[in-house]
Amino acid sequence: MNCGDARRLFGAYWDDEITLAERDWLESHFASCAACRGEYETFARTVELVGSLPRAEVRPGLDERALARARRATAAPDRLPVGTPRWIPVTATASLLAIAATMTLQWMGIAPVARLNPARTTPAVTQPVLVHSADAPATSASGTDAGTAAPETLAPVAGTVPDSLFDHSADVEFILDPVKLRKGRAHTVLRLNPDVQGEKAVITF
Amino acid sequence: MARVAEDDERAFSELVRRFQGRVTNLITRVLNDRECSDDLAQEVFVRVFVHRRNYRRGSKFTTWLFTIAANLAKNEIRRRVRKRHWFSLDALQEIVNDSAIQLADPTEGQETVLQREQLQEAVGRAIATVPEKYRVALVLRDIEGFAYEEIGQMLRIPGGTVRSRINRARGMLKRKLQPLLRREGTS
Repeated sequence: MNCGDARRLFGAYWDDEITLAERDWLESHFASCAACRGEYETFARTVELVGSLPRAEVRPGLDERALARARRATAAPDRLPVGTPRWIPVTATASLLAIAATMTLQWMGIAPVARLNPARTTPAVTQPVLVHSADAPATSASGTDAGTAAPETLAPVAGTVPDSLFDHSADVEFILDPVKLRKGRAHTVLRLNPDVQGEKAVITF
Repeated sequence: MARVAEDDERAFSELVRRFQGRVTNLITRVLNDRECSDDLAQEVFVRVFVHRRNYRRGSKFTTWLFTIAANLAKNEIRRRVRKRHWFSLDALQEIVNDSAIQLADPTEGQETVLQREQLQEAVGRAIATVPEKYRVALVLRDIEGFAYEEIGQMLRIPGGTVRSRINRARGMLKRKLQPLLRREGTS
């Protein structure tokens, strides 16, 4: 063993955690090596100085201050474990309720409000068919033809009924029955007045 | 501690009075900052109270207490490194140089011996320059006198690592204090 081995044993020698054989060898080495002996003296003095440092003074009232802070910390702990955010169950419950309500409404046959909004469902109205009575001027049976009829025949009628596009003096009837929505499809129910002579005008939405 | 776990505040005050000196001393020596050590010591005891029900009966109370204290002291060192760079490499070198100048001031005559108080202050400053992981182990061992195994439990490292850290810390301190000790020997 050499000086390096001896210096590696300084800590264990100081702590008295050295074997008897190592102790004997180290002490005999100190007797013959002034450098290692001097190094060990410096080492021992350093550890002594560290150990002999004065104790830090405690400010009076530490127990009271600690207790006051402990009470506050217990009342409102600032470091709670992070749990599941509360908005998740609330949102999930709200979604489930919304789905259940929608399904119930569909089962009851009540359409959701959004589907009845007339602004969103622009009706694709087919041109109505005009039905003329026997004493009416003989024109074509089709409504489009009525629109394009000779001005001299339609002008007096239009003058008497300015708010209408059609000749109300003739027996014309629009059949606008309520639309029943079932399973998302529109069904028209025609209830024609048997006294009215005319062709069916079906308006689909 | 059993009484503290049952919300006995009087027992808690008693416990604080009993251990406040050692806890404050540990923190002071690790941080070399007396102003801050009082607040940190308070924090140690607050945590003891808040987590009183986590304390396992049968385990050694001082090990648990000083684990909290050592962790808080280490956190404080790291916080300072992050925030103020107190212990950045440059700052560390500055402190080392400053300590060396103070320890081996050539303007001082051989007759001039540092007073005891100055010597202790120099030792305290030298300890503060030792890297954190060595410093905490050194203070727990050479100032607070804990056994290696206990320190290993507190720092959650094996006993062999504790020994090597303490030996390295002692070696560093010896090199820093050597000029001072030589002068002390000649005076």
